[in-house]
Amino acid sequence: MSAVSLAEPVPLHRGGTVLMRPTIIPGFRLTLGITVTYLSVIVLLPLAALAVKAAGLGFGGLWTALATERVLSAFKVSFGLSLVGAAVNAVAGLLVAWVLVRYRFPGKRIIDAFVDLPFALPTAVAGIALTALYAPNGWVGALLKDWFGMKVAFTPLGIAIALTFIGLPFVVRTVEPVLQDLPPEEEEAAACLGASRWQTFRHVILPALMPALLTGFALAFARGVGEYGSVIFIAGNMPGVTEIAPLLIVIKLEQYDFAGAAAVGMLMLLVSFAMLLVLNLLQAWMRRRHAR
Amino acid sequence: MGLRLSGISKRFGDYQALDTVDLEVRTGELLALLGPSGSGKTTLLRIMAGLEQPDTGSLQLHGEEALGLKPRERGVGFVFQHYALFRHMTVLDNVAFGLKVRPRGERLPNAEIRRRVEELLRLVQLAPFADRYPAQLSGGQRQRVALARALAIEPKVLLLDEPFGALDAKVRKELRRWLRGLHDEMHITSVFVTHDQEEALELADRVVVMSQGRIEQVGTPAEVYDNPASTFVYEFLGQVNRLDCVVDGGIAALAGGALRVATGDPVQGPAVAFIRPHDVTLSPDPEGPGNVLGVVTVGPQARIEVGLAGQILEAEMPRDRLAQIGLRLGHRCAVQIERVRAFPRV
Repeated sequence: MSAVSLAEPVPLHRGGTVLMRPTIIPGFRLTLGITVTYLSVIVLLPLAALAVKAAGLGFGGLWTALATERVLSAFKVSFGLSLVGAAVNAVAGLLVAWVLVRYRFPGKRIIDAFVDLPFALPTAVAGIALTALYAPNGWVGALLKDWFGMKVAFTPLGIAIALTFIGLPFVVRTVEPVLQDLPPEEEEAAACLGASRWQTFRHVILPALMPALLTGFALAFARGVGEYGSVIFIAGNMPGVTEIAPLLIVIKLEQYDFAGAAAVGMLMLLVSFAMLLVLNLLQAWMRRRHAR
Repeated sequence: MGLRLSGISKRFGDYQALDTVDLEVRTGELLALLGPSGSGKTTLLRIMAGLEQPDTGSLQLHGEEALGLKPRERGVGFVFQHYALFRHMTVLDNVAFGLKVRPRGERLPNAEIRRRVEELLRLVQLAPFADRYPAQLSGGQRQRVALARALAIEPKVLLLDEPFGALDAKVRKELRRWLRGLHDEMHITSVFVTHDQEEALELADRVVVMSQGRIEQVGTPAEVYDNPASTFVYEFLGQVNRLDCVVDGGIAALAGGALRVATGDPVQGPAVAFIRPHDVTLSPDPEGPGNVLGVVTVGPQARIEVGLAGQILEAEMPRDRLAQIGLRLGHRCAVQIERVRAFPRV
């Protein structure tokens, strides 16, 4: 072994909280002020109004408005199926992103444009199209009914399909750039070290994509929870079975039960916030593990 | 027998990356593939690893045909220029990767894997860094992790693609010396790619000089430096002067006949003389044919530009020697040339 010592220590990045760092946009106070004001007006103000309206019911009133069979099952449908849709999108969206990044084929640009369509389409149009397609007399619905005796429209499955439809772009568009930046050498290194293709995917590629995948998942999930237009047509809206929480709010509004609607809205907000917070924390933890 | 490549050709579209290359890598040697960018050296290395498939030719790995084998079946260690460490794994996990992905039957017990990895980390002097992530290491440390990772699978052949290319000059030099020491200890058949002639000459047992997809010359560092097989090798390895000359009966007449030097080359008529700067000796002489046009000092060495019958000849000598003989800008001088290689003028 050579006499030269190569073990020079490198300081670990263990910075405390840094309040100010030089940036190209001048005026920390000014920009922070604008940020807080903007967020307050755009996000916080409407939410505060919602909270105030719901609080008008008092604790007992909130309880009676929310602790009903119908509200609980609507929440189960909305959150449960949004999770299902987001999970399906996480897998399928990863696949789509993979194909779009890794392969060259004729018509790639067109397929790439297809991915964004769920963003652009009015959700009601998507809902009607999906319903027409999956209804027992629709093209796909009729086939599924004949072959498997399956019913899609007006069941939870139909809702899951609608939520999958509108959530796809989120996963594809968050994973795509990360996949593009993934150096091919890491995969080649894994191959040289004896890893099979599955092992390379599982241990090298997937962990690198995980933060982006989780972001896409969270976005698709959040979008699914709030989704209204595309779902109400295909859902059938049977209370307790295929009634989603946003629909419940609309129903309460139509009955002039504004405080009750606000209470449901408030609860949705809290649950969504809690789940997104957990996802964000998970992501922060993952990013910290291999910060560049 | 280590590696034998014969008739390897590879095209990328219109570009001929390799043109019928034959090469033998001997067991236990440290071989350098040296050439400018675009000479095909990295492609050749990637073909050895199985990361690239040649269009034609054959590759034998320890006597067995290997072209049909996937990279993971070849038992070859590969070190990338930019390390290609797994970012989300600690140093320990990076090095253990090759051992952990083995099929269940061949897998060592976890304790044994850990012991081997720790031993390797000691070997590359990174034992205290086992729990760090690659982002927390310097370039030189990352490259040593990459090396340990490649060695972990006990490869039959170690392939290194510009292993020091991304490092700064000082670290590069240390790591180079350290790698030489490591090779002397382990005697693992190794091939490394470089465009740095100094690196190739210092480190390798044998050097393969490549240009435009072909091998120009194979030999020990001394052989390729002292007896370059072509004008390309001459110019690529170190500084060289090119002077027009006329060869007659083994004597090269330079500078319109003012200078006559014996050359062993079988050339007759108009030729180009290749002269290393350190093979030129100058001495002050008011009647001499040379005229000092410039003096540049680099560390302990001095480079002197001499005008010689309308051509420029560069000479090199130690700085204190220059001071001793008292040669300065504008002086005339006598020129003596120790060695000349003459190649036909094209």
